[in-house]
Amino acid sequence: MSVNEIELEQICFRIGTFEMSDLTLSIRKGEYFVLTGHNGSGKTLLIKMITGLYRPENGTIRLMGAIINDLSPWKRNIGYVPQEGLLFPDRSVRGNIRFGQEVRRVGEKQITESVDRVARLLNIVHLLDRPVVGLSGGERQRVALARALAFEPRVLLLDEPVSAIDENSRDELCSELRRIQCTLGITVLHVAHAQREIDLVADRVGQIKAGGLQNIIALDRK
Amino acid sequence: MQHKKPLYGKSFDVFLAVPLVIYLLLIAGLTLAVFLAITPKSILQAFEDRAIWDSISLSLITTTISTFFSVCVAIPAGYILSRHRFPGHSIADTLVDLPIVLPPLVMGLCVLLFFNTSVGLWLDRGIVEEGLFIYQPLGIVLVQFIVGCAFAVRVIKSGFDSMDPNFEDMAMTLGANRWQTFYKVTLPNAAPSIMAGAVISWARIFGLFGPILLVAGTMRGRTEIMPTTIFLEVSIGRIEVALVIGALMILMSMAMLIVLKRLGGKGYLL
Repeated sequence: MSVNEIELEQICFRIGTFEMSDLTLSIRKGEYFVLTGHNGSGKTLLIKMITGLYRPENGTIRLMGAIINDLSPWKRNIGYVPQEGLLFPDRSVRGNIRFGQEVRRVGEKQITESVDRVARLLNIVHLLDRPVVGLSGGERQRVALARALAFEPRVLLLDEPVSAIDENSRDELCSELRRIQCTLGITVLHVAHAQREIDLVADRVGQIKAGGLQNIIALDRK
Repeated sequence: MQHKKPLYGKSFDVFLAVPLVIYLLLIAGLTLAVFLAITPKSILQAFEDRAIWDSISLSLITTTISTFFSVCVAIPAGYILSRHRFPGHSIADTLVDLPIVLPPLVMGLCVLLFFNTSVGLWLDRGIVEEGLFIYQPLGIVLVQFIVGCAFAVRVIKSGFDSMDPNFEDMAMTLGANRWQTFYKVTLPNAAPSIMAGAVISWARIFGLFGPILLVAGTMRGRTEIMPTTIFLEVSIGRIEVALVIGALMILMSMAMLIVLKRLGGKGYLL
């Protein structure tokens, strides 16, 4: 029997004229779920509600069966990669990747091991001592991904992680995302626009429309 | 072949540069006049006087202490004003600026008036009989703090304003609580504006005179600071000593300006 890692039940949220109503979604453990939808349909909002940066007005968010509505973002252990990467400009690549472990007060040896592990996984070992200023779009997203994976999160939320990079790097990074997800067995919720991106990574895809979730389709990945 | 020279002439820019040149000549002339009027004898005369040394050290000590407290208050105040909109936000934002626009002597009068109320009297004379603030060095620090804090808040807030709050959200999703986010992400990113706030605050209160004269008086060796020294020396006809102190203040202010420019705080000058 498959276990649901993320469960959203009848999520309601209103901001200005936008309204999300009774959105329900379950993502299985180890599944790669892609969320699509037009600009302003509420995809980023939904991701931010799962991270804990926004609180739903109504409804329940469960992580491995536990309700996390009232849990602070720093206690959720969810990896998040936003569209623009948001790398801390005052830190080097290494400094960015070790951030999650540092704030958890993990030992220096374990931090070094984690940084090396994710840097190898994402092929960015050669970038570790560089400042983040001057990195290309693809490199920035790899570093952001490494930073989100370094503290071994239960779930990875990717908000249009490849939209700001060129087309060739986009395909390459999508293939790597899928490889990493398979290697780590981590549950991923990925917001995407392009069909090519969806084809490369998704187990299932759902469209967010008019504040609700529609057309959930399972893709054949054999 | 491309020409480096633009097709339009320079006469328009030269015309616009004239007021700048006049103003620069005025500043340079006035500053230079102070240094040219100083003689080795007047320098010796100034520094032989023990009271002058006391005034210099009291100036540096009070200005530094006031700047420290100004920055300590301005960091949280600037952050709250920058990140949150609350009832009364615009009133608070305007009140913070009041010491910047208020005539300094009026501000000094307000402080004197406050220390004439029952709360003020208790604060001033409740603990120490001879008073804590009025005609005391602590009064200098208080007045400098009131003015310096306003400048520090304005500059530091602009630093927080220019910082993307999404970085803070990002830090929280990575496991940092509010405190960790503040000192590991917010403060390092706002560091240049915090330093600029401290430097501007220091420079502005270093030369403050009017309100300090009202609150702390001009007691030699007790509440005398460098601007007061200039006033006292001029009033007793020792212009040459006043000029030495003036030149010293110019040099110190210029040093602060260089520090500020080095910190990249040019845009923060008010």
